Amino acid sequence: MLPIIQVRDVSKQYRVTRSAMVAPTLREVFAAKIKSIVGENGHSAYNDELFWALRGITFDVRPGEIVGIIGRNGAGKSTLLKIISRIVKPTSGEVNIFGRVGSLLEIGTGFHPDLSGRENIFLNGAILGMSRQEMRRKFDDIVGFAEVETFLDTPVKYYSTGMYMRLAFAVAAHFEPEVLILDEVLAVGDAAFQQKCLAKMKQVSAQGRTIFFVSHDMMSVRQFCSRALLLEGGKLVADGDVIPVITSYLESIGLQ
Amino acid sequence: MSSVNPGTSESVAAQSRSPFIKIDARPSRLLPQLSDTWRQRELLYFLVWRDLKVRYRQTFLGIAWVVLQPILMTIVFTVFFSRLGHFQSDGVPYPLFAYAGLVPWTFIANSVSAGSGSLLANSSIITKVYFPRVLIPIATVGVRLVDLLVACIVLIGLMAFYGIGMHASLMLVPVFMIGATLLAVAVGSWLSVLNLRYRDVGTLLPVLIQLWMFASPIIYPASTVPEAWRLLYSFNPLAGIVDGFRAALFGLPVDWRGTLIALTVTIALLAYVISIFNRWQEQLIDHL
Repeated sequence: MLPIIQVRDVSKQYRVTRSAMVAPTLREVFAAKIKSIVGENGHSAYNDELFWALRGITFDVRPGEIVGIIGRNGAGKSTLLKIISRIVKPTSGEVNIFGRVGSLLEIGTGFHPDLSGRENIFLNGAILGMSRQEMRRKFDDIVGFAEVETFLDTPVKYYSTGMYMRLAFAVAAHFEPEVLILDEVLAVGDAAFQQKCLAKMKQVSAQGRTIFFVSHDMMSVRQFCSRALLLEGGKLVADGDVIPVITSYLESIGLQ
Repeated sequence: MSSVNPGTSESVAAQSRSPFIKIDARPSRLLPQLSDTWRQRELLYFLVWRDLKVRYRQTFLGIAWVVLQPILMTIVFTVFFSRLGHFQSDGVPYPLFAYAGLVPWTFIANSVSAGSGSLLANSSIITKVYFPRVLIPIATVGVRLVDLLVACIVLIGLMAFYGIGMHASLMLVPVFMIGATLLAVAVGSWLSVLNLRYRDVGTLLPVLIQLWMFASPIIYPASTVPEAWRLLYSFNPLAGIVDGFRAALFGLPVDWRGTLIALTVTIALLAYVISIFNRWQEQLIDHL
């Protein structure tokens, strides 16, 4: 089967300014210009440090795979997902995707606390890239999955954390993109909700859709992923069957 | 897989017509960007709808505020400038004249100042999901456009009160409103992305907006500008737009040279902003 995603030698470099990644102000730029005209040494404002969040990542993903991405904090997992989601550009290398990408990098992206559940379904769906017609067609399924029927017209700021998460996951899962990207979104749910989400993910992948799934929960990675990628210091150090990759991860952090 | 899923054939069909996306270090090309923006135009509607809904739900005065802002300014300028300074107003009663300038001005000023902060204000969405980012400053202008239309209802009432009837040149009013909208989109989008690069744009902006007001025929007629300065003056696109808006409204002669310059400058500015917006956005999002 042809790959749905090709990741080719992708690297990402971030520039960290000394003042902790804050953009310079016009005032600083003018001050530095004047200093350099006057002849003073004006290098102080641009004392940047460079660091590689990802280095030379290459892999292919076929339709229907559920790919677990594991690694320590700061290993580059989120950066990789952001590049595949088209949020940030790689510094070098390329990614080819044959299909729509839906990302859920954070529970409830774009939810507005003052709007009702019903309104947020439409808003969130539109942000993810659904058409209004598509949303109307899937509305009942989303509401049913999220189990929020009686609270549809309540502002989501009064929702419990569980309801809020269920609704956010439901919208993203029913978007049915060819590639669904999930970053740690299940970490906060209870066991019943996690099982429900994982079952939905299985169903989505059975339709030939691809899922990227970042998690620190090795149980759910082992249970549901068909493949795992291990990132370490921005490099892809293991790629293959879930069990050996998890084992080498646990060894690397000294747990096994 | 043990069972044949009914979704499979559908998804294979979906894949054959699904878009091919290439992500690399080069800046995204303009044409795919524009077609992406067009494809997600419904999001523009939802973003405007979200802001209107939230605003009218939270603000006690709600819609009244939209009308109050230009009315209060009209009263202030009428008392201070017309009574004390004896401003000319092209033969139109000064309060009506000022209000007809302050309505488009309020639209432009609010669009530009809200637009300039719009990408920063929506950074939590921008860093979490992809969609054409230019929709955000455009949506900000869209919200103010609704305000403008509401303020125009009062304008119609005011014109009736002063006994200005229907006439043919009213048909030109939409031309100047479209011009004002394009100008607001261009300046708002430009500042929104500039604001990602230099965070003190927001601090500087109120002063610049105030200066822009006095450099435009809002509370005085363009006819008071000395003839020698008129050509230079008309390179401020807002001058031709507000002057033309008012001329169309009151049936005064339209300054076609000024209008033409204003619309040309606006479209050139818009083209420039469209050409740089995404490139800048892609470079600057790393800082968010």
